[in-house]
Amino acid sequence: MTKKISKPKKSCPSCKILKEKLSRSLADYDNLLKRITTQKEQINKMATASLVDKLLGVLDDFDRAQDHLKDKGLRMAMSQFLSVLFSEGVEEIKALNQDFNPESMDCSDVKKGKKNLVLEVQQKGYTLNGQVIRPVKVVVGSG
Amino acid sequence: MSKKIIGIDLGTTNSCVAVMEGGKPKVIPTAEGRNLIPSVVELTKNLVGDLAKRQMVLNPETTIYSVKRIMGRRMGDKEIEKTQKMVPYKLVAGKDNIAAVEVAGKTYTPQEISAKILQKAKVDAESYLGEKVEEAVVTVPAYFDDSQRQATKQAGEIAGLKVSRIVNEPTAAALAFGMDQKKSGNIAVYDLGGGTFDISILEIGDGVFEVKATNGDTFLGGDDFDHKIIDWVVEAFQKEKGVDLSKDPQALQRVKEAAEKAKIELSSSEETDINLPFITQADGQPAHLTMKLTRSELEKLTDDLIQRTVSPVEACLKDAGLKAEDIDEVLLVGGQTRMPKIRQIVKDLFKKEPNKSVNPDEVVAIGAAVQGAVLTGEVKDVVLLDVTPLTLGIETMGQVRTTLIERNTTVPTKKSQTFSTAADNQTQVEIHVLQGERPMSADNKSLGRFVLDGIPPAPRGMPQVEVTFDIDSNGILNVSAKDKATGKEQKISIQNATNLTEEEVGKMKEDAEKHSKDDEEKKVRAQTKNKLDTTIFSAEKTLKDLKDKIKEDDKKKLEEEVKKAKEVLAKEGSNKDDWAKADESLGQILQSIGTAIYQQQQQADQAKATPKGGPIPKKEKAKKDSKTTAKKETEKAEEGEVVEE
Repeated sequence: MTKKISKPKKSCPSCKILKEKLSRSLADYDNLLKRITTQKEQINKMATASLVDKLLGVLDDFDRAQDHLKDKGLRMAMSQFLSVLFSEGVEEIKALNQDFNPESMDCSDVKKGKKNLVLEVQQKGYTLNGQVIRPVKVVVGSG
Repeated sequence: MSKKIIGIDLGTTNSCVAVMEGGKPKVIPTAEGRNLIPSVVELTKNLVGDLAKRQMVLNPETTIYSVKRIMGRRMGDKEIEKTQKMVPYKLVAGKDNIAAVEVAGKTYTPQEISAKILQKAKVDAESYLGEKVEEAVVTVPAYFDDSQRQATKQAGEIAGLKVSRIVNEPTAAALAFGMDQKKSGNIAVYDLGGGTFDISILEIGDGVFEVKATNGDTFLGGDDFDHKIIDWVVEAFQKEKGVDLSKDPQALQRVKEAAEKAKIELSSSEETDINLPFITQADGQPAHLTMKLTRSELEKLTDDLIQRTVSPVEACLKDAGLKAEDIDEVLLVGGQTRMPKIRQIVKDLFKKEPNKSVNPDEVVAIGAAVQGAVLTGEVKDVVLLDVTPLTLGIETMGQVRTTLIERNTTVPTKKSQTFSTAADNQTQVEIHVLQGERPMSADNKSLGRFVLDGIPPAPRGMPQVEVTFDIDSNGILNVSAKDKATGKEQKISIQNATNLTEEEVGKMKEDAEKHSKDDEEKKVRAQTKNKLDTTIFSAEKTLKDLKDKIKEDDKKKLEEEVKKAKEVLAKEGSNKDDWAKADESLGQILQSIGTAIYQQQQQADQAKATPKGGPIPKKEKAKKDSKTTAKKETEKAEEGEVVEE
């Protein structure tokens, strides 16, 4: 004769709660692992962003000084400074005579000119490894 | 499995999204990598947040900001009139005379516009969480009436979010500060954001919050503080250089940015420099702006703004029927509350130090996320993970405590470490389980001990005994020791290893601190003694193993030195310096003998075969020597002692 193993008739409510809790924690953990991986990549890429952002403010002042002084030595020093930034993955955002794009540009003023066209760059903008770290401040045509 | 409910702080100037993850609230970064979403929407091109803000100057009539100010209000409302004066877009009457916005001939309700912000919050949260988000808790000011709350709820629905709860902002803040744990009391929430000031008084009883009174100023915020600095800079520059910077939009923009930066810096330092080279031209020459702003100067400049928060606070207390002394807790919300002077004013008003433990920009969103987690049951069911309050370890050679599990480790946890014997032919080891922070075993609490026997006789340091500490979620500590060669195992189970009263833990930690210097000395003593013991052991081993290779006089010298060292070790009253000295001199002889043997060996090798390379460089020999001594740095011991490998 075969022995019949009796199964619990009702699933116990606390088991259900525990199962739910377990699956939730596992899912949370799994998601966390995935996110940590992507965040790590992100951090690696953007680790320099905060420093670069501060340096950009200084670079602006050099730009302004050069606009006024037009000094050959300063120009050389600046191009060296820039080449260091470029080697770290910094790129200048091109804006002049392009259509305004809020993804990478920040409109600070408008003036008469072709509508939506960037007529003037007030402050250069930069990307770091493809991500905008500072949008370029532009004057856009109002039409 | 139930989905996450996100918390959204739908603000006048900025919005913020948070979610509960693994029992902790986390602010969700936007696609642009920031923690805040500017509450700005461009309607014709459908831009939201930073992108919308960047083109605000270009399309002022189609870019909507501060829409919260008109949410659910009727035309003719005082607030609507004030808002219309401030914003460049056009307000019109919509259905039932409810205020709406007209853009390019089309009418948009505030709900539709807010929905765009909520939609961005949803999308950002989904990309962060990697799953669909369908429900949210959204916060509103405590003074919002029913129609304003209804409108906020509708905004969520338009965005495809079921608003499972509308929560008052001060209540959310109280939740974020963990105030729901309180049994009862009165809480004041002082919220000075970018554009509005709110003061609320809540009463809490058994985890239920009731808003007793609210007050505030809907046109007072951090932006006003910025403007004060800008005006001050412009005026001072005009005086000094005779140029009006407010006429030069580009210069003014730079001043604006510098003003905000200065304001932030003055929250942590006493003075700051505002340096803006080549700000403009004066008489055909470039003019530079250099100014110093001190904290006290800033406080003077903004004093009228700060004072404007005082009377609403007093009125609010009066409405609630309370005195300042009746308030048990004061919470700070909004970025502007980082200003030390504001904290001072709040402290003076309530005669108590305000609580500032949560980031004031994110606190409301965090509270909404906590509420969301309560609704999904996540918070109620949260498993409070226990930690081991004290370090757990075993006793090793010289009564030194060796740590297996550091204190504050979250349980359940498991750690293993391999140990060895301390004497030749030692057949058993005793595992003495210890709890406490002191480095010497005798000063710690003994939790239990057991013996693992049947270890095959072998030279000291050879057997490998793996000791495993395993604390399960009930705080039960299982300690096992296993001889890797024979697979023989012994274990012990200790109940409630993590269960100590706070006093016990406190006392043990205090003890450890008090004795730390003493203990460290004792430990060094034990270590020095162990080291000498080891050196003697290896010297004897050398004498035995290499007796044919050591020169006779060297042998004699070594034997003598070993004898001397043993005497030092056995002599009562000898101190650690004696041991260290004996160890050094014995070590030196051992080394010189080692070197001599190597040289002999090499000469023999060279004689045997034509050498392909030169002799082994000295450096490498030295390395080999140190390696052998290091390996021998195990200790002789009484039967049963354990040695760290």
